Amino acid sequence: MLKKERLIVIGNGMAGARFVEELVARDGAEMYDIVMFGEESCGNYNRILLSSVLAGAHRPEDTFINNLSWYEEQGIKLYSGVKAGWIDRMGQSVYAAGGISESYDKLVIATGSTPFLPPVESMHDEDGFLRSGVFSFRTLEDCQAMIDHAATARRAVVIGGGLLGLEAARGLLERHLEVHIAHLGGHLMNGQLDAPAGAMLKETLEDLGLNIHLDKLAVSVTPPFAGAPVGGLKFKDGEELECDMIVVAAGVRPNIDLARQAGLHVQHGIVIQDDLSCRNDRNIYAIGECAQHRGKLFGLVAPLWEQARILAEQLTGENPEASFRGVKLSTKLKVLGVDLAIMGDKDPQTDEDEQVHYSEPARGVYKKLIVRNGRLAGAILLGDGLTAPGVLQAFDRGELLPENRAGLLFPGAGVAARMDVAELPDTAQVCNCNGVTKGRIIQVCQQGQSTLEAVCAATRAGSGCGACKPQVKAIVAFEANRSASQSATAISVIGGKKVAFPTIENAGPSRATVKVSPGSS
Amino acid sequence: MASTEFQHDTATHCPYCAFQCGMRLSGPRDAAVVAGDADFPVNKGALCIKGWTAAEALAHPERLLTPLVRDAGGQLVPATWDTALDRVAEGFRKTRTDFGADAVGIFGGGSLTNEKAYLLGKFARVALGTANIDYNGRFCMSSAAAAGIRALGIDRGLPFPLEDIAQAEVILLAGSNVAETMPPIMQYFEAQRANGGVLVVSDPRRTKTAAAADLHLRLTPGTDAALANGLLHLLIRDDLIDHDYIRERTEGFARVRQVAATYWPERVERITGVPEAELLQAARLLGRASAAMILTGRGAEQQAQGVSNVLSFINLALALGKVSRPYSGYGCLTGQGNGQGGREHGQKADQLPGYRLIADPAARQHIAAVWDFPEDELPGPGKSAYELLDSLGPQGGIRALLVLGSNVAVSAPHGNNIRERLESLDFLVVADFFLSETAQLAEVVLPAAQWAEEEGTMTNLEGRVIRRRRAFDPPAGVLTDLELLERLAARLGREQWFTYASPEAVFDELRAASAGGAADYSGITYEKIEANQGVFWPCPSMDHPGTPRLFAYSFPTPSGKARFHPVLHRPAAEEPDEECPLYLTTGRNLAQYQSGTQTRRIAELDAMAPEPLAEINTVTAERYGLVDGDWLTLQTRRGAARVRARLTDDIRPDTVFAPFHWPNEQSANLLTNPALDPISRMPEFKVCAVRIVKE
Repeated sequence: MLKKERLIVIGNGMAGARFVEELVARDGAEMYDIVMFGEESCGNYNRILLSSVLAGAHRPEDTFINNLSWYEEQGIKLYSGVKAGWIDRMGQSVYAAGGISESYDKLVIATGSTPFLPPVESMHDEDGFLRSGVFSFRTLEDCQAMIDHAATARRAVVIGGGLLGLEAARGLLERHLEVHIAHLGGHLMNGQLDAPAGAMLKETLEDLGLNIHLDKLAVSVTPPFAGAPVGGLKFKDGEELECDMIVVAAGVRPNIDLARQAGLHVQHGIVIQDDLSCRNDRNIYAIGECAQHRGKLFGLVAPLWEQARILAEQLTGENPEASFRGVKLSTKLKVLGVDLAIMGDKDPQTDEDEQVHYSEPARGVYKKLIVRNGRLAGAILLGDGLTAPGVLQAFDRGELLPENRAGLLFPGAGVAARMDVAELPDTAQVCNCNGVTKGRIIQVCQQGQSTLEAVCAATRAGSGCGACKPQVKAIVAFEANRSASQSATAISVIGGKKVAFPTIENAGPSRATVKVSPGSS
Repeated sequence: MASTEFQHDTATHCPYCAFQCGMRLSGPRDAAVVAGDADFPVNKGALCIKGWTAAEALAHPERLLTPLVRDAGGQLVPATWDTALDRVAEGFRKTRTDFGADAVGIFGGGSLTNEKAYLLGKFARVALGTANIDYNGRFCMSSAAAAGIRALGIDRGLPFPLEDIAQAEVILLAGSNVAETMPPIMQYFEAQRANGGVLVVSDPRRTKTAAAADLHLRLTPGTDAALANGLLHLLIRDDLIDHDYIRERTEGFARVRQVAATYWPERVERITGVPEAELLQAARLLGRASAAMILTGRGAEQQAQGVSNVLSFINLALALGKVSRPYSGYGCLTGQGNGQGGREHGQKADQLPGYRLIADPAARQHIAAVWDFPEDELPGPGKSAYELLDSLGPQGGIRALLVLGSNVAVSAPHGNNIRERLESLDFLVVADFFLSETAQLAEVVLPAAQWAEEEGTMTNLEGRVIRRRRAFDPPAGVLTDLELLERLAARLGREQWFTYASPEAVFDELRAASAGGAADYSGITYEKIEANQGVFWPCPSMDHPGTPRLFAYSFPTPSGKARFHPVLHRPAAEEPDEECPLYLTTGRNLAQYQSGTQTRRIAELDAMAPEPLAEINTVTAERYGLVDGDWLTLQTRRGAARVRARLTDDIRPDTVFAPFHWPNEQSANLLTNPALDPISRMPEFKVCAVRIVKE
């Protein structure tokens, strides 16, 4: 048997742990002695679900993906609650406090990111910790602390109106706090949304009970402090919001110190190549939020997991050529009561780009497509959860869009309504199981059969699954009625039973405007 | 013959699907009268058009009435049975001498009676001594079977009688279009809904079944496991799982719970294409019902991750605490007429009668004793269906093949390869009642009796063993498959193991062979079946009434508990790309059955479904400039098939559906992907990448 190589993974979060799972699924534990460093002292949990934990929908234990015993079962040596301290590239070793030293043949850095804390006066206490009542929102521990504090708090301000900030705000609302969002930009989620969508989202969130303040730069946390929670938050425009809880959700910064100290090439993140290895050390790889690929950082789970899979394929030899070429970015806002899906570009990038949008403010519906070379380059879908999956898949796959773009925005608009039996042509098949047409049923009626049972016996209609019996009955009645009233002038029609199928409500664009225009509007 | 000779009114069963409708046959063979059997408690008199017209195949002008052998000029010409059987015996003997016993293969079918399936397995092991026997049920039920055994310790399609369906509050039907594939079953779903029940169907198409549902989850092909995991995630989140049941009746939940943590709704929506709101609706329906059922069909099963898909649905049923509860649980809807019995009695490569494993020493000893045959001469496990077919010819090493009750040239995946493999055989023998596409390639064709001309038993989708009865003698010159196997065995010098007074005598031996196995038939007799309108297996003794409902107190696993299995969704073996931008999924039409050998020859059915209609979304069709009724070519990396467009909004825009009942250039299986499930060896019939080429 070949001697196993030693593989160290620094980071046990969404990227690091996923990578190890993918590796193990490909029998990677047979090829490598795997050592992991995880700063948080637990197994691995799904960070995506934290806003749902905050909102009380998920219990913390429902977020666990791998508990500590899993690592043991897989033969993985996990330093849980241990922060890797130093990478010695010459000696191919990783050191940590407490005299820990592990050597590697391959090293994967998946250190993730840290919440960005904007310079707000008095946000930290004299020891440099976040002041009591002020929270960042990154870890399960943060989440638990927020939940505990929220139990007695009354009024919270969330700094940041991006994805995480809005999700945090919604979660606190579920905990019966008065919640304010202070956003620096001119509209919510300005990184992902255009101004009209941002404005409509604001209304939707306000309807849910959130208080939203735009163009707000927080400058200081106000007293009283001594032992008590915070007193409020002061903004650059002089306004002040009283509160007893502050959540900072102002973005993240990649954790690159370890890599920088090791002399790896770092810019905003650890610079990696398509094979996910570092520019200046081919035995070291970086994945996840700490990595920078072709100038881009990734904060969403899909690209992280894609990197994890690709690296596992590569290192297990399943596909040694596997490489990362970037991914299409899309996400959904996980806020109860709001359907918002966003993907790709929020605005046209060139005059060639085509823009399709549909706006229905009264219902809070806003749909916008950016189409490039017949394919979706971006989209915003607010207030329409049923359309989102189809558009997301078309975007993910780079599908050619239908010429009639409305087909994508209003699927099902063309579904024909069920016809009355009176309107059915004689050739229409009524009983599918036995291939009985309306004409055949009318024929036996005219031959003297007048009851459902007799007609069914004569035609075999309804003798299979039986689902057509109401329709057969309606045709029999229709025919009886027709022959009875042949001498009279009026023909009354007895309609077929309407079956209640789910229909797309207000499917057509008739009540609102649809604009299709080339270029930006 | 005068019709007065036909005063009979024979109660038997339809030849087609696993629902096995009771039907009555009267009149002469060439004008047989079919009636639904109102006394049979399963179909209660209902039949679909395939059943109504089934008797037309009996006196069909194309029916084979004499053996055919290939002459020096390569033509199939009529021959006597003696000539034909001598040639077969000689062909098999020569292959065995030159290349070894395993160079002769047998391919059986899921429509054979229990007696025939049993005897065919014995024929392979005892008369030919080959390990290589498998059957088309591998293409049908194998994923559900493997999953059932792993999770519940047993594989019986439905662990409860059909009547339970009517009492279920909520049913999730995953990948099954029963309204077309077994229409008379719909009476149970209609009754369920009349009782206030709710039906949820997951399918990429809005099939007739989906249209009859209260909620249709229109999932992306190949994403069933993601759907099931996503539902489980929501059930855990909203605490709609049954903690007591999980603790007392199951094992392995902890890991499944953790896997479910990675299937949050937004992710599942993106994979499956099913809106979050509908996922939540489905989860809540299932979670809040006191009686809930999850049933799977070929849609979820015929995939390279078919076993995983089924396991993920079983996980769901177990987490809900529903397996063994009244009007609840997990079941699969078996497809072929004897798809259930056909997979229990030794027709499978790895199996001996009674659902025993051929690699199990105790099982071998038991069977060797029943057969009075040396255990060490019984071969071991052989190749699974697709692998067996893929091994035909000089390279693969299987040089001669006997096909009974299957039309593999049309029904196996990657049809071009299968055809090449069949053509590369030294010797092919096919027994059938029509000259099927497979028979056309044979060296010897043996005319077989049809369903209404033989005695035997079938096991329906509920695990109910029922009687097939003879209404007519076979036409002169036609043998039953049992007679054929007996005569062939005699020519191979194995007469002593293949002499039976009647089909019932074969059944009696089957009973003894199955005794003590998972599928124990030992307490079932023809008499008992007749007295009770069928007997549910297991039935381990003469005084045992049979077992309509399984799992009441425990599961037949080593621990007595049901087992959860962590399942990760994986992409299909072939996903759409630039070259082939659409999904292809294949399936069935109401008026046709399997490869169409029988149904395409029946005028009324042919009129209803004369050609393959490919379902294409109107939006997609527009892109290709197709109008309804256009002929077009579907092309995959394996082949091309000519089909006609049927434009509809009932299918996802990214998916094309093609029925597989037609042969030659219209065969959908020229397109399908033979990627196999690692456990069940089921090919991926239900997902591959395709492109549309307009004519």
